[in-house]
Amino acid sequence: MTRPVISAWSAVSPFGAGSAAFAHGVTAGLRAVAPLGADGGPLPQTHAAPVPDFDARRILGRKGTRSLDRVGALALAALGELLAGAGRVQEIATGERAGLVLGTTLGSAASMMDITRDTLTRELPYFVDAARIPNAVMNSAAAQCAIRHGIRGPNTTVAGGRSAGLLALRYAMRLLAAGRAGAVLCGGAEELTRERSWLEHHAHRGAERPLGEGCALLLVEPPAAPGSPAARRALAEVLAVETRTHVGGPLADATAACLRRALTRGGVTAGELWAVSPSGEAAWERAVDAECARGAGGRRPVRLPDDTAWGDAGAATAAFQIASALAAAEHDPASRGRVAAITSFDREGVLACALLRIHPYGRIHPYGTKARTDDD
Amino acid sequence: MVSDGAGTPPGEADRRVVLTGFGVVSSLGSGVAEFTAGLRAGRSGARPITVFDTEGFAHAVGCEVADFTAERWIKDLPVESLGPATRFAVSAARMAVEDAGLDPAVLRRQHGMICVGTTDGESHDLDGLVATEVAHGPEAMDPVVAGRIGAARLSVAIARELGLSDVEAVTIPTACAAGNYAIGYGYDAVRSGEVDFALCGGADAMCRKTFAGFYRLGTIAPDLCRPFDADRAGILTGEGAGVLVLESLRSALARGARIYAEVLGYGLNCDAYHQVAPDQGSVARAMGLALQDAGIAPHQVDLISAHGTGTRANDVTETRAIRDVFGDDPPRTVAVKSMLGHTMGAAGALSAIACALAITHRFIPPTINHRRTDPECAIDCVPNEAVDADLRVVQNNGLAFGGNNAVVLLGRYDPPGPGTHNPAGPGAYDLTGPGTYDLPGPGATVRARPPSPASEHPS
Repeated sequence: MTRPVISAWSAVSPFGAGSAAFAHGVTAGLRAVAPLGADGGPLPQTHAAPVPDFDARRILGRKGTRSLDRVGALALAALGELLAGAGRVQEIATGERAGLVLGTTLGSAASMMDITRDTLTRELPYFVDAARIPNAVMNSAAAQCAIRHGIRGPNTTVAGGRSAGLLALRYAMRLLAAGRAGAVLCGGAEELTRERSWLEHHAHRGAERPLGEGCALLLVEPPAAPGSPAARRALAEVLAVETRTHVGGPLADATAACLRRALTRGGVTAGELWAVSPSGEAAWERAVDAECARGAGGRRPVRLPDDTAWGDAGAATAAFQIASALAAAEHDPASRGRVAAITSFDREGVLACALLRIHPYGRIHPYGTKARTDDD
Repeated sequence: MVSDGAGTPPGEADRRVVLTGFGVVSSLGSGVAEFTAGLRAGRSGARPITVFDTEGFAHAVGCEVADFTAERWIKDLPVESLGPATRFAVSAARMAVEDAGLDPAVLRRQHGMICVGTTDGESHDLDGLVATEVAHGPEAMDPVVAGRIGAARLSVAIARELGLSDVEAVTIPTACAAGNYAIGYGYDAVRSGEVDFALCGGADAMCRKTFAGFYRLGTIAPDLCRPFDADRAGILTGEGAGVLVLESLRSALARGARIYAEVLGYGLNCDAYHQVAPDQGSVARAMGLALQDAGIAPHQVDLISAHGTGTRANDVTETRAIRDVFGDDPPRTVAVKSMLGHTMGAAGALSAIACALAITHRFIPPTINHRRTDPECAIDCVPNEAVDADLRVVQNNGLAFGGNNAVVLLGRYDPPGPGTHNPAGPGAYDLTGPGTYDLPGPGATVRARPPSPASEHPS
């Protein structure tokens, strides 16, 4: 394998805490979007997909969780699962040579707005909760992850909304290529809060989607020599991650150009596509259809789940998409050695596409589930 | 084949990355010329804060951007579709492209990166939405403002304004080191040959949320920011944007561009220790990683532009970390935040631009408002007056909330010619592999600094 590999993943999602719940949700075709209860006060949306029964203290313990905000807790929960998976993950994903790259939209809107609200409603404008001030900075969740688990290499937050997980994967690959880290944890996290619900409502009036939340993380490692233990452990090889910016004109032109370049860089044809993770934008579907019709003899790739399953998970979306491909591949022998395309679009104008070649022999001991035992 | 005349092997010009254009929006003025003049004169950007209501705060001085008209620079996008930080970022990007002598129409045919760092993104807009919510309920929030608060917009809007579709637009909200993060990311992308150019930097607009937070932590100075001073009392919040044009040396030489400086390398790490308290050993390690990446020995560094916020915690920790790496006679170490205030996500970018201008124009910007150096900050901070200096290598420190450190090294680029030698060129020194650099750990004995090179003592 000449490209970086994904060797483990974890997720805390509207399907439940843990990668097993996520994999079940994906392969069973579950839909986590449900009507909202009336207990949380007035909200602009009628439906949403929260992580069910998410209790940060129960999952993470009491120590250091008093001032944690929701997005920080979701990220820590996903990271905790990944690092608990096997001794080797703990070894390479912590310490000075381990990096962490976390995708976001704008950090925690609730934490930021809470501070400002306190400045306006309390007796004096600086009577704000000191312990919560760091939460109001957008890199807080990534920093919390590093502090709790001793991840001392590059620690970077990248903003790109629904595409943030792919921007994070691209960043992780550059860190590895430049030798700035020996292994990188990357993904995206988003929280479902009253504040986010109102901001999304006002920003996208008339085009709102039910909101979701959660965090998915991948462990990305440098290219592995064929036949090596690292190659055997790999779940998928990252063939390409391409991004473009939509600055006007038909979006379909941009998606088509993005896909073609990804295929070229990845050295694959549309005929090798096993599955496509949809972005939620018709322009991406058309680009994929056009490429498949051109070269694949009309064979259509498997369509992986999208927002209708887990809600608009914001900056967790692209990471969920990658996790969904890895989860689905495990249950589909036809995936082996073939390629999953992750397509992505964020309304700010970022579009991105990743091509992942699923491990040719299937994975025997997935890191991402509790079934994993360390085979080193 | 382009050669730099200093024994550079073929292909090296593709892998060397230079800075060829700058855009600046700051409290010292906008554009390279005003910024340079302000740095050299040691001007202060401090003034009473007007961008939010300061009633109830005992003191509220900041470094606001005054007399700035975004419409002068933003030609294609409706300005109201952009929050204040994005207006700074887009304006600075326009300036940088113009300063570099680049035609956006040419850039449109190239593959590029746009990378903007920020701390608060459009938090000033969020402040406004909260004020509406408190007064009138969440239903009354302004949809135009709610639609422009995503942090991605800081970089995407630059692409839209310049009409660049074949670019990776990524915002890095890694707090107060974000400007350096962005420069580092652009450096890796250009150096690897993946992109033809990168527009990198940082932007932030002053906001009530962050002012109140720092105020609550007791870190807002009542009048002026006095880094390394025994009587320093904290930061002044600031705002603005800095954008740098990065391209390969080959590209710059081929188009005859003016080269301000070369990016020699950078280092990133995380304290993994505390959200707000920096860790001396880890900060030293970040500097060591940058030196190692650039192939530069500590004694070759002529100047450090410190993170230098003017808080107790930062200045003592940073100074000690510098002495851990550079020994008992460290390079002169200045804090441009004394002039600019703490411009948050823009800080690393504005400081990097200041470093490159210092190299180009052969002077060291001073640390102003200085009265007496804190004995615990044992460095020469070049108090109050700029000095002339022949600088070959300059280090730019950025330390962020969350223990995220980013250190960038810039070097003078000397055009080829008889008798010139560019000590900063990659390959000029033995590049040891990752982890083999002799990094002093916490508590390690500091090494004696080798004899100063001639460039240290300009006449």
